[in-house]
Amino acid sequence: MPIIEVSRLVKEFGAGRAPLRALDEVSFAVDKGRFVTLVGPSGCGKSTLLQILAGLTAPTRGEARIEGERVCGPMPGKVGMVFQDPTLLPWKTAFANVEFPLDLRGDDRPARRKRCAALLELVGLAEFADHYPHELSGGMRQRVAIARGLAQDPKLILMDEPFAALDEQTRTRMGHDLLDIWAATGKTVFFITHSLSEAIYLSDAVLVMSPRPGRIIDTIAIDFPRPRELDIIGSAAFGAIRNRIWHLISEAR
Amino acid sequence: MRAAIAGYLIFVVVLLGGWELAARLSAVDPDLLPPPAEVGAVLWQFLHDPRFLGDLALTANEVAAAFVIAAPLAVSTGFLLGERLHLAETFNPLVHFILAVPQSIFLPIFILAFGIGFLEKVLFGITHAYFVILINSFAAVRSIPRPLVTAARVFGATRAQIYTRIYLPAMLPLILTGLRLGMIFCIIGVLLAEMYASRRGIGQLIFDWGEGQQIPELLAGIVLISVLTIAVNELMRLAELRLAQFRAAAAAG
Amino acid sequence: MRRRALVKSLTVAAAIAAAWEAVVRSGLVSRIILAAPSDIVQAAASDGGVFLRAFATTLAEIGAAIVIAWTLGIVTGLIVGSSRRLAAATAPVLSSIFAVPLIVLYPLLMAWLGIGSLSKVAFGAFSGFFPIVLNTIDGVRAIEPRYLALARSIGATRLQTHARIVFPLALPAMVSGLRVGTGLVVIGVLVTEMLASLGGVGFLISYHRTLFDTGHVYFGMLLALLLAVAVNIGLTRLDRRIGRWQRREQAQE
Repeated sequence: MPIIEVSRLVKEFGAGRAPLRALDEVSFAVDKGRFVTLVGPSGCGKSTLLQILAGLTAPTRGEARIEGERVCGPMPGKVGMVFQDPTLLPWKTAFANVEFPLDLRGDDRPARRKRCAALLELVGLAEFADHYPHELSGGMRQRVAIARGLAQDPKLILMDEPFAALDEQTRTRMGHDLLDIWAATGKTVFFITHSLSEAIYLSDAVLVMSPRPGRIIDTIAIDFPRPRELDIIGSAAFGAIRNRIWHLISEAR
Repeated sequence: MRAAIAGYLIFVVVLLGGWELAARLSAVDPDLLPPPAEVGAVLWQFLHDPRFLGDLALTANEVAAAFVIAAPLAVSTGFLLGERLHLAETFNPLVHFILAVPQSIFLPIFILAFGIGFLEKVLFGITHAYFVILINSFAAVRSIPRPLVTAARVFGATRAQIYTRIYLPAMLPLILTGLRLGMIFCIIGVLLAEMYASRRGIGQLIFDWGEGQQIPELLAGIVLISVLTIAVNELMRLAELRLAQFRAAAAAG
Repeated sequence: MRRRALVKSLTVAAAIAAAWEAVVRSGLVSRIILAAPSDIVQAAASDGGVFLRAFATTLAEIGAAIVIAWTLGIVTGLIVGSSRRLAAATAPVLSSIFAVPLIVLYPLLMAWLGIGSLSKVAFGAFSGFFPIVLNTIDGVRAIEPRYLALARSIGATRLQTHARIVFPLALPAMVSGLRVGTGLVVIGVLVTEMLASLGGVGFLISYHRTLFDTGHVYFGMLLALLLAVAVNIGLTRLDRRIGRWQRREQAQE
């Protein structure tokens, strides 16, 4: 059974005569353990789709299921989220931020401390455990956010343009490190971005979304072998896929 | 906006309704809380009573005199200190000390020095209004973006033009806020002085009624003062608002 | 280094005291208006015990009023602030009431609760309530939605969200309100003691004024000032501690 099943999802904003349609009969499925990216131009509705998957907002029509269960609200044990803004709690250290979801859940102390230490190690921030968010760079804060997203050991991680606010170099490096983290944890990742290169580099499959009202134009399988190095980005095959996606989006306008 | 109006209406209804209800229930001593109608009748009589109106006029005169003296003094001092920062630094600790201190404490000294007549009330009101207006005027001057002034000079603006076209519009909002607060503080000061020791004036009347347990008169006085001060406050706020809109229009134009 | 500064301050203070004594004794200023330092010391020596008891009374009243104002203000502010509609409807009303010179309500409290400590505590608490509740509402309303989205996505309960995310985020604004509010509590209690009381520092100040015991008046004022300054320093410390992480956070952005 696919871990994500979305069926004829429609989202409209504003009642009355002319509601704004953000999502137009979106349907797709994502299999367990895969890294799938949704790519599309700004304003196409990808964030809205993610919000629905995360249970933070309800669809107007259609349904979304996670592990067969209908999404009616957030599912903390099953779904972890990483937002575009790390949204770390400024008065807590990196360690305490990662620990926070477990603290709320009521896990006992030694267990959660051990888990957090392991998570910070995984994202490469073991030495910065006692630092506060304002002492960390943007990329580091996002790493803490990723560690926090993994804290409750969810099966699925939703990521909403997590690297969009970072500079290009950091962004590329973060993508590379994210793949390592994904490989180590075996989670399913559903990633959203408007950067075609990022989508192709990271994913097993790319869902291409049209401009508003958003619908899935096509699904492109990405066959580059893993682990993927950054030099594939310059290759001809990579460029060909990118052009293809680019045309798909332009033609859909 | 609509919510605010609803809030006011609900508040007035609840207040009057609750008051009427409490007065009717024999649980509350009618001497301690007469019904609104009775208070309204007393208030109506007051508004036709020349002696009462005379006291009201006296208080109003004291407030007006204090404000009219304090405001220009405070604004010009604030302006001066804002322009000559070295002066500001010298006076800064003094002003902060005075603000940290409850000025009302000094009322007995004012009485020992100036008696309990018109002069003492006005002087006391002046001290209350002065510092608030000063602080706000100072902030107003400091809030002018320096690059704006430099740019104006580069474009050959004369001194007068800089003052009227750049300084004035930029400073006005904070100065108006300061004036509004100054008025409130001035009213508080004058009323306090009248309540404490005075032969005539609204404050003295109210305090006497309180001591004499003349509740209907007391409530009538409180209602009148509340309505008047809220009206003054809202009028001044409206002026601030209008000015902000005017500025925005002027800046766009 | 510190000792030198302390010695310097003390020397300056002693010099000022000496000059002050000289001015008063020379008859330049009437001794009824300006007491000499020796008069103040004499007042302390002869009636120190009485003043100390009064100080304790005032302190207790202020303490009680602070507890009430803080609790009511913060809790009400958190509840009202959590609802956009409620805040939009309530805040303007509260803000308008705040414009009324609350001192005029004291005779009512006097008539209802007598001239003992109860009316002082009630008035003090009432005065302090408004800035606290208004600032708390502002603080809660200003919380960015992403924090609430975070809370939901990690499965925080309503109570957890309020206590562990909303409260800390609103804290800096809240403390701002606590500063102003507590200042008003102190002034409120002292002033109402001056107006009509059976005990407390304010009462003694008034009492000795009627006897033209200016030395005692000044001693009382000195105690009142010490109280106000001490409270102010305490609050500044609190403000500084709470605001630390927020200021650094803002500096980073």
